[in-house]
Amino acid sequence: MGRLLQPGAAIAVGLIFLVPIFWMLITSVASDADVFTFPPRLWPAWDFSNYAKAWGKSPWLTYFGNTVLIAGSVVLLVLITSLLAGFAFALMRFRGKGVLFLLVMSAMMVPQTVLLIPNFIMAQKLGWYDTYLIQIVPWGASVFGIFLLRQFFLTLPKELFEAAEMDGAGPLRMLFSVAAPLAAPSLVLVALNSFMGSWNAFVWPYIMTKSDAVRPIEVGLQAFYGTEGTDWTGLCAAVSFTTLPIIVLFLFLQKYFVTGVYGTQGSVRG
Amino acid sequence: MKTILQGKTAAASRTAASRGTSGLRSPVAYLFILPAMLIFLVFTIGPTIFTFVVSTFKWNWLNPDQNKFVGVANYQMLVDGSQDPPFAATLLTSGYFVSAMVVGGTAISLGLAMLLRQARRINVAARTAVFLAHVTPLVATSIVWVWIFNPRFGLANLVMSWFGIPNIDWLGNSRFAMPAVIIYSLWHEIGFTTVIFLGGLTTISTELSEAARLDGCNAWQEFWNVTFPQLRPVAIFVIVVSSVASLQAFTQFFMMTGGGPGFDTATLGFQLYQQAFVFRKTGYAAALAVVLFSITVALSILQLRTTRSLGRTV
Repeated sequence: MGRLLQPGAAIAVGLIFLVPIFWMLITSVASDADVFTFPPRLWPAWDFSNYAKAWGKSPWLTYFGNTVLIAGSVVLLVLITSLLAGFAFALMRFRGKGVLFLLVMSAMMVPQTVLLIPNFIMAQKLGWYDTYLIQIVPWGASVFGIFLLRQFFLTLPKELFEAAEMDGAGPLRMLFSVAAPLAAPSLVLVALNSFMGSWNAFVWPYIMTKSDAVRPIEVGLQAFYGTEGTDWTGLCAAVSFTTLPIIVLFLFLQKYFVTGVYGTQGSVRG
Repeated sequence: MKTILQGKTAAASRTAASRGTSGLRSPVAYLFILPAMLIFLVFTIGPTIFTFVVSTFKWNWLNPDQNKFVGVANYQMLVDGSQDPPFAATLLTSGYFVSAMVVGGTAISLGLAMLLRQARRINVAARTAVFLAHVTPLVATSIVWVWIFNPRFGLANLVMSWFGIPNIDWLGNSRFAMPAVIIYSLWHEIGFTTVIFLGGLTTISTELSEAARLDGCNAWQEFWNVTFPQLRPVAIFVIVVSSVASLQAFTQFFMMTGGGPGFDTATLGFQLYQQAFVFRKTGYAAALAVVLFSITVALSILQLRTTRSLGRTV
């Protein structure tokens, strides 16, 4: 009995979790007449006009461009700050190292919602309200990234650095020509973690910006939902074309996504 | 995977401290940590302290010159229940959501991990499907689920109709709104916790399970007496992580219910946003933020302890 039961249950679980995605896709290619019936039509009508209709109603290209620019800048900053700090905390000796590392780790305990009010006040004072800067710079350092790279650098044999030092390399060269290339798999994890965080970000950019010119994709999608709240075929089309890039990325880099989960287990948050 | 699990850290950092070439013993280290420290100080640590300050003020949204120091008045408003919704109601709403997410999420993901434990092709595909839900953006899939919970044409009511249950106005009914958001949130979060349990399962001893089977244990006895005790540290980790995450949950409430109907789904995370940015009671919202921060810190300290014990078992 168990021989059939287990695979059957596994397939059922997989399908149940995919139902919302299927239904999103089916609705996105349904005609309006199909949508407003009960019981709902459960097979696709292949009406792709919803995509063109939804695409024409919002500045999606601007939103996509903003998201790519913001996520790309955040990833770049996070990689640099994590490499530098991770290297220092793993291999360099300096006064106050323990306390400073504790300070970094404590930053992850602060919920994002708690930071909204003070950062909003500060952003307005700085003139950073409604800019790319307020969406990039605060996320340019990641506890997850520093922690993960520190962990990796700790595993490197010290002979590696002694040899580099004989050649007269300073810490910066040791980091970028010896340690960083070896850390490539960890760097992919850190980059992916920050990229996903930026792509999925909502409440921060929603509060810190007001104009379409700087707003990212998820905030744009929320605005579209606000104005097209009952146009379900158009909405599902918009959800599909904004979400499929993430789904494709996930299917290609699944291994790294899953490893990232164990990474968060060590450091808690990215 | 193993290298990034907590296990190795303690031992490894000891050797790192005792080694180090002379070039690595330089004040340049401060320059290395400076960019990250600066960002944390300016945008995380400083603002956290500033939140405590704001919480003692009647903060004027438009004109900062009219900010008035009021001491603990904002905290008194929490206790005396003078605000709408009263703080106690917000805590209850949060408690409802958090406990459902923690109990439901832990039980279901542990069950799924046991089910999908063997690395067969079907199981790996099912794991992918479960984890896929977790990587989707909250804004995007919240919209899909609002459509699923549509009172007239939604998929949820189709399923209900199979059981002879008449149409439900899921998100507009104070009895069903929270369960609906919980169902969506479970769908979104379970992939993450299932993967954590699957990781835990790869580290536990199969010999003990085999011995138990030989001694005549049935599957259920073996799970409770052999497998689960070894998973306990992982389970504690999952419980703490889900409590922290669900306590702070915001986006799905913003998208699906707007805290309503009334304030029936206005959790602490949502109230913080609503009081600060909709009702513009900044000082009071900052007091809510301090409460949220304190609970999170308490849970995080608990978590650091369990991660440490997790490190020992892994």
